[in-house]
This record gives sequence, structure tokens and C-alpha cells, in this order.
Amino acid sequence: METYLIPVEDICAYHHVEINFIHSLEDFGLIQTTVKKQSVFLPIDELSKLEQYLRLANDLQINLEGIHAVSHLLNQLQNMQQEITILQNELNYYKQLNQ
Amino acid sequence: MDYIDYYKILDLKKDATTEDIKKAYRKLARKHHPDLNPNNEEANKKFQQINEANEVLSDPEKRKKYDKYGKDWQHADQLDAQQQQQRQYQSQSQGYGGNSYSGGFGGEDFSDFFSSMFGGGGGRSSRNSPFKGQDYSADLQLNLLDAYTTHKQTLTVNGKQVRITIPAGVENGQKIKLPGYGAPGVNNGPPGDLYIKFNISDDPKFKRKGNDIYIQEEVDLYTAILGGEKIVETLNGKVKLKVPEGTQPDTTLRLKGKGFPVYKKDNQFGDLYIKWQVKIPTNLNAEQKELFEKLSKF
Repeated sequence: METYLIPVEDICAYHHVEINFIHSLEDFGLIQTTVKKQSVFLPIDELSKLEQYLRLANDLQINLEGIHAVSHLLNQLQNMQQEITILQNELNYYKQLNQ
Repeated sequence: MDYIDYYKILDLKKDATTEDIKKAYRKLARKHHPDLNPNNEEANKKFQQINEANEVLSDPEKRKKYDKYGKDWQHADQLDAQQQQQRQYQSQSQGYGGNSYSGGFGGEDFSDFFSSMFGGGGGRSSRNSPFKGQDYSADLQLNLLDAYTTHKQTLTVNGKQVRITIPAGVENGQKIKLPGYGAPGVNNGPPGDLYIKFNISDDPKFKRKGNDIYIQEEVDLYTAILGGEKIVETLNGKVKLKVPEGTQPDTTLRLKGKGFPVYKKDNQFGDLYIKWQVKIPTNLNAEQKELFEKLSKF
């Protein structure tokens, strides 16, 4: 299945952001862009991540190093939330056994 | 509708400077920003309150009006009118024109208190920053069999039809985020997200623990002692199982890969555990009793 690509130039114009910011995010391994016919594109499934990083930068004045750290911690948080859900369900299973 | 103490929300004193407000807002926004608090509705609400407080206190005109009327905000317009009249009597040249706060900020993110005091949708007199739309959340009830297979389902969220794919293996209580399915953004801001929480009801027969399924199956005494076969219903059809000779009560059998699908991992399944419940015969006739008595003497 072909991934829908958005020209990075369009994203920069829409969000009023410098292209360097996008490149820096890529350097940090936070997003992945694709080059086609000498133009840079962002796969659509990366867009929500990019917009989240833009909000962190604009709303909270978090620099790139901070965004990198936040992103890492958010992933950890998400994994932990998932683990809590699984453990809660297991606990319910044992509670039911004891009833 | 209650009075909202914006100073208290930002943990500020009444004489806070613009710089103090900015600092307090940034500090609290960093703590409660929805991007930093995924799946946390409480933080979301708090962030909206902080935004609202900042919207009022960082705008000199709004702050002035808020400070002026304080708890009398409900009568602000009447007091304005009275004062205007008084001024007109005192000096015909200077009338208090009042503030005209036009809408346009997206009042749905603001409290009734804010809307009542500053007009329909609030309004930013000096800034037009894009803001992400409000996030929506919805609960979706599934039974265990629904969660066993990947399927599509149509939901109605805020009057809009949203067709989603529910991957096999979702956990009870698991939330998924559908980016962009929330309320529209403000000032060209991105739309909010839709969070769907799955509530999976308990099944009377199949008990789920992670990706494993546990069931209890009855086996009669004679089959347990002598061995035999038994047809057992699993989540994906019936299977014929061999009951070994001398099967003890509560013996558990594991069927590898016959459990629940692993979330977002194609063709990976947990295991199915079957606990044999040996059924002791009751209401024995005379002949059966005699045979058991004979057996007991061996």
C-alpha cells in the first residue's frame, strides 16, 4: 500500500515553521521524511507526531533536546499505561476466581 | 455558574506583574499540557482553566474588567451602564464606552463564567494564535468475541459518523487515539483528537488473562478414570481432545496458540488453558452402588 506523502514545504507554510526545524527533528530521530524528485515529503502517519512537536515547541517553548527527552518519556508513559491496563485486567481475573 | 478566581488558578497574587503571569502560565502549562498528559482528562480540564485564566489576566483590558467587578461579575454590564450614566451626568465629554469583546476564539473551550463576562466566544484582542481543538472521548462496549477479531465499527461522535477499525486483541480499558477526529481547531489550529476507550464485558465461559484464555470443562468420572475423548468449544471453533486415563480433577491442559490474538501482531495468539472438572455421579442405582462398593474393596 502506498503511503500518502505531504510536501514538507506545505507543512512549513501552513504552520509557519522553518524547514530547519523539520530537519533537526529528523536528525534527532523524531520524525522521518522521504525525498522524491529532489523534494522532501512527510508521510501522513508522521504528521500528528510532527504537530505534537510543534505544539511543544510553540506552546511551551521546549527546545529540540527537550522535545527529544519528552518524546522518550511519553513513549515510556504510554507503555506503562498499557501495562497498568493489562495488570488491572489480570487482577480482575484473580478477583473473580476468589469470589 | 460560579465565580472563577483566575489568580488562584495561576497561583498568583492580585498585584502580579505581566511577567509574573507569563511565568506562572508557562510553568502550569508545561505541567498540564495535553500533549504531556496523554489520556488524562483531568489535566485537559486543568489546561483549559489555565488557558482561560491566562487569556484574561494577560490581556490588560480584560484583567482590568475582571479586577474591577470581581465577584460582582454577574452585574458587570449593569454596573457599567450605571457608571456610564453617572459619568455622562458629571461630564458630557467623557463617556465610558465599555469594552467590546468580539467572539472568534471558540467559546466552547471557555467556561460560562468567561463567556458571560467577556462575551460570546471570548476573543483575543491582540493575539490570534492557532489552538488545537478540543479532544473528544468515547466509550465503546464490546464483548469478548468482538475483541477476538479485527472488525470495523461505525460510531457517532458529536453528530459525526466515524468508521473505525478495531484491531483484534484490544484489552479491556485500553484507549486508542484517532488523531484529528476531535473538535475543529481555532484560528487554523489543528483539530483535536478522539480517544476511544474499550470496555470489554466478561464472558461467562471464557476468562481472559492477557492473551491467554481459561475455561473449565466438565468430564464424567468414567472418562476421567478410563480415558476418552471430549469435544471442547474454543473461541475459533470446536476441537476434539483426548482425555488421558486417570485424569485428576482440576488437571489443566494447555492448547498452544488457541488463546486470544496478540494486539497488532498478525497470526500470534496466546494459549488456551482447559481445567478438567471431574463430575461425580449422583443418584446411583443399586447396581451402580454395588459396583462401586466392589471397586472400593480392591
